[in-house]
Amino acid sequence: MASEPMDLLQGTLDVLVLRALRLGPMHGYAVSRWIRERTDGVLEIEDAPLYKALHRLEQAGHVAAEWGFSENNRRARFYRLTPDGRRQLKDEEAAWRRYAAAVFKVLEPA
Amino acid sequence: MRRFFQLPWRTRQQIRADVDDELSFHLDMRIDALVASGMSRDAARAQAIREFGDIDDARRYIRAVDHDIEAARRRSDYMNDLRSDIVYAVRKLRGSPMFTLTAVLTLALGIGANTAIFSVVNGVLLKPLPFPQQDRLVRIQFRQQGHGDASTPPDLADFRTRARGFDGFSHFEGYTANLVREHAEPERLVGAEVSANWFSLLRVRPLHGRFFSVGEDSPSAPQVVVLSEPLWRRDFAADPAIVGKQLQINAQLMTVVGIAPDGQGYPMSAELWVPTRFSARDLSDATRGARWLGMLGRVKDGMPLETAKAEVEGIEKQMEGLFPEQFKERRARAIQLQTAIVGDLQRPLYVIMAAVAVVLLIACANVANLMLVRATARESEMAIRTALGAGRSRLVRQLVTESMLLSIVGAAAGVAFAKWGMGVLIAMAPADLPRVKTAAIDGTALAVTAGAALVIGLLFGVLPAVQTSAGDLANALRAGARGARTRRQANRTKRFIVAAEVALAVTLLTGAGLLIRSFRELMAVNPGFQPDHIMTMRVLLPGKTYDTLPKIASFARQLESRAAALPGVRAAALGNAVPLDGTSFWLTFVVRGSAPVRPSDQPSASIRTVTPNYFTVLGTPLLRGRAFAADDRVNAPRVAIVNQTFVKRFMANEDPIGKYVEIGWTIDGVRQGGQIVGVVGDVRDDALNADVDPTFYLPFDQTPVEGIVITARTAAPPASITSALRGVVRDLDPTLPVYDVQTMEQHVAASVSRQRFYATLLGVFATVALVLAAVGLYGVIAYAVSQRTHELGVRVALGATGTRISRMVIGEGVILTAAGVLVGLVASLGGARIIAKLLYNVKSSDPVTFVGVALLLGVVAACASYIPARRAARVDPLVAMRGD
Repeated sequence: MASEPMDLLQGTLDVLVLRALRLGPMHGYAVSRWIRERTDGVLEIEDAPLYKALHRLEQAGHVAAEWGFSENNRRARFYRLTPDGRRQLKDEEAAWRRYAAAVFKVLEPA
Repeated sequence: MRRFFQLPWRTRQQIRADVDDELSFHLDMRIDALVASGMSRDAARAQAIREFGDIDDARRYIRAVDHDIEAARRRSDYMNDLRSDIVYAVRKLRGSPMFTLTAVLTLALGIGANTAIFSVVNGVLLKPLPFPQQDRLVRIQFRQQGHGDASTPPDLADFRTRARGFDGFSHFEGYTANLVREHAEPERLVGAEVSANWFSLLRVRPLHGRFFSVGEDSPSAPQVVVLSEPLWRRDFAADPAIVGKQLQINAQLMTVVGIAPDGQGYPMSAELWVPTRFSARDLSDATRGARWLGMLGRVKDGMPLETAKAEVEGIEKQMEGLFPEQFKERRARAIQLQTAIVGDLQRPLYVIMAAVAVVLLIACANVANLMLVRATARESEMAIRTALGAGRSRLVRQLVTESMLLSIVGAAAGVAFAKWGMGVLIAMAPADLPRVKTAAIDGTALAVTAGAALVIGLLFGVLPAVQTSAGDLANALRAGARGARTRRQANRTKRFIVAAEVALAVTLLTGAGLLIRSFRELMAVNPGFQPDHIMTMRVLLPGKTYDTLPKIASFARQLESRAAALPGVRAAALGNAVPLDGTSFWLTFVVRGSAPVRPSDQPSASIRTVTPNYFTVLGTPLLRGRAFAADDRVNAPRVAIVNQTFVKRFMANEDPIGKYVEIGWTIDGVRQGGQIVGVVGDVRDDALNADVDPTFYLPFDQTPVEGIVITARTAAPPASITSALRGVVRDLDPTLPVYDVQTMEQHVAASVSRQRFYATLLGVFATVALVLAAVGLYGVIAYAVSQRTHELGVRVALGATGTRISRMVIGEGVILTAAGVLVGLVASLGGARIIAKLLYNVKSSDPVTFVGVALLLGVVAACASYIPARRAARVDPLVAMRGD
C-alpha cells in the first residue's frame, strides 16, 4: 500500500495516541483534534492511520473501547488507556526521549 | 481485564455497522466544526475526507482487526467459563462426597475391568503378529479323514515347485534342547526345527549375526543354532561375542550363528531355532504317509488371499492325482497365521469381553440413576440459576462439565485398577493362551478407555439435563413441586434403568452359572486315576549319548529303582507320558491272525510305554489278566496291556487276552507290539472332557523311549520329594536337565485351566454385576420412600400398619426385579446358545441355573428393599405430614 506510513511514523503515531488518551477517555475525533493542536500542524497526520492505530492498540490490549455518548449526544466509540497501555506509554516515551537526546547531541555545535 | 458480566460477542454484521458508525461520527464532527468556522458544507465535507486519507483501506483494516479481537475474546470467555465450570463442578462434587465417591468407584470398576480385559483380548487376538506384512503369512494345513493338520517333507517340495502365488514355504516342528553350560545347571529349552528360509519368510532381521543360509538344512552341513534375545540375555549376559561360539546342545556341538530379536516366539514360544535336516529318505515318496511337520507360507504381495487359498487346494488335487493312496481323503487349506494361532479362543474371549462390557453398562446405569436423583435434588438450584440469567445451554454445559469430571476421574482410577487387574489376569491366565504374557495396557487400550469415558461423561451430563430442562423450571422453583409431572417422569426413568440393570445382571449370572456348573461337571469326571500324592518330572535322553536301547533301558532301571528307594516314596514308575500332560502318540496296528486290511484302513490307537508299577502309582485299576512284571524284559516274550475302550472298540465280542497286536512302529528292525496279557480301566489321557482314547500299553523295558516321565506316589505332600527326585537324576547323569516338574494334581488343574479361567472371570463379573444391581435397586427404592414420606404418613394415619407399609415397599422392589429377571432370562436363553460350545455336560438351557438365578435375584431384591421398607414402616405420620 503506497500511502502506508513508514515504520517510524507508525510507532510515532502509537505513542501520540497513547499520550492523548492519558488525558482521559476520548473518542477518535477528539484524539485526532488533540494531536493536531499539539503538533501545530508540523506533522502531517491523516485520520485513517490514526483509527487503524486505535484498533491495533485495542487488539494489543493497550487501550479499551466502549460505546458511549458524545458531548452533542451522538453514539461514539470511546477509548481509554488500560494499565498495560499506561506502561507502554511510559516505556515508549522514555525511548523517544533517549532517541531525541542522542540526535540533539549530534546536532549541537561542538 | 476481568469482566463481571458478559457482553454478547459481536457478529460480523455488527462489527461492520460499528466501524461505519465510528468513522461517520468522525466525519460528521469534522464537517460540523468546519461549517461552524464558516465553510460551506460541501467544501467542509471535501476537506474532512481529504484530511482523513484512505478511508476504504482504514475500514477494511479496522474490520479485520476487530474481527480478530472478537474471536480472541470468544476464546478467552470460553476458557474462563470452562475454568469456572470446573471450579464450580469440583466444589459441587466435593460438597457431596458420598455421591462422588460412589460414582467414581462404580465407574472405575466398570472402566478398569473393561480396560484390563480389552488389553488382554487385544494382546491375544487383535494385535498383529510381530512380523512385517504378517497378514500375508498363512498356515498350510492338511486334514486327513478329519484328523490333524501336519504335512510331510515331500509336501514342502511339492508346494515350492508348484505354487506361483507364494514367496515361499517353510516347515517347522517342535524341538527340545538340553543345553549344558559350564558352571550352570543343565537346562531344557523349547525350540523349533525350521527350514533354512524360515526367518526370511517371516521377514525378520537378526539382532546380531545372521540367520540360516541356504543349504544349512541339509544333513551334511555343520550344526548351527539361532538363539532368541530373551535366552541370550538370560544365559549369555547379552554378549554379542557368543555369535560364532559353539554350544553343547543335546550332546552335540552347535555353532551360534545369530540372535533373533525378542517377540519372535513363534512357533511354540521357541527360544532357539535349528534347521530341519532331512535325509534323502525323508524327502523320498516313502515318507508321504508320515505327517508331523507344520507348514507356513507367505503369499506374494498383491496376490489376493483367496486366489492363494484356491491355489493351495488346487495343488493338493494335483498331488492326489499322482499319489491317490497317500492323499486319500486329504484336504489342504491355507488359513491366515493369526487366525490359526488364535483358533478356538475367539469365541470365549469375545464372550468375556461382552460380559465385561455388560458390567460397564450396569455401572453406567447405576451412575445414571445417581445423577438423576441428584438432578432432581438440584432442580431448585438450576431454577435459581436460570432466573439469574444462565441460559439453558450454559446449564447443560455445567452439568456436562460435572459428569465429564466424574468420568475422567473414574477413568483415571479405572486405569490404575486395570493395571493391577492385568497382573492378576496374566497370572491366572492359562499358560497356553498365546501371547498373553506380552499383553499390556497400550495406546489402543487407553484410547478405548478415553473414548468410553468421553461417551459416558457426555451421556450422563446430557441425560439429567434433558430430564431437568424438560420440566418447567419455574414451576420447580415455586413449589418444590412434589408429585409434579417431571418428578414422576424422572422416577419412571429410574425404575426403567434399574429393571434394565437387573436384566443385564441376569444374563451375566446365567452365563457364569452355566460355565461354573460346567466346570464342576468337568471336575466331577472320573479321570481313571487318583491324582493326589503323585509327583511327576521329565527328562529327555539325548540320542547322541543314549544311542542304544540297552543304554536307555539301563538308565531307566536305575532311575526307577533309586526313585522307589527314596524315603517317602511309596511307589515309582516310568512312562513316556502321564495323563493330561498334553502328549499323545497314535499309531496304526493290526491284530495277528485277523483278515488283512489295506494300510490306509488300519485302525489306530494311542500308544504308551510304561514300567510295571505305572498303574499302581496312578491308581488305575487292573480289570482283567495281569499287569506288567519285572520279567517282561527285552528277551522275554513281548506283551501288552489295553484299556477298556480299546476292548470295546476293537474286540467287543472276543476275549482280548492272548491276542497278539502289532503296531506300526519298528525299532532297530523289530516290529513293536505284544500279546495282550491284561485289561486296565479307562484313563482320560487327553482331557477330562474328551472321549477316552483306545490305548495300547507296552512294557518300557521292551519298548524304551528317550523321553521319560518319572512318577512317584508319596506318603507326604508330593512336592516334598521334588529335590530328592531331582537329585536321583543328577547322580545318574549331571548333564540331564529335569523339566515339567508337576504334581499330578497340577496336571489336572492345567488341563482345565482355560475352563477355570473363563468360569472365574465370568463369575467375578457376574458377582460385581449382582452387587451393582442390588445397590441400584436399593438406591431407587430408598429414594422413592424418602420422596413419599408424606404419602406414607397419610397412610399410617389412616390406619395402615408398619408391616403393611413395608410389605408394600418390598413388593415394589420385587416387582421391579421380576420385570428385569423376566427380560433377562429370555435374553439369556438366546445368549447361552453362544456359549453352548464351551459347556460340558450342561445344556445351555439348564433349568437349575435359570431357576437358581431367578431365585437369587428375588432374594437379593427383597434384601435390597428391606432396609428402605423398614424405614418406611417407621414413618411418624405427624412428622411426615407436618414436614411440608
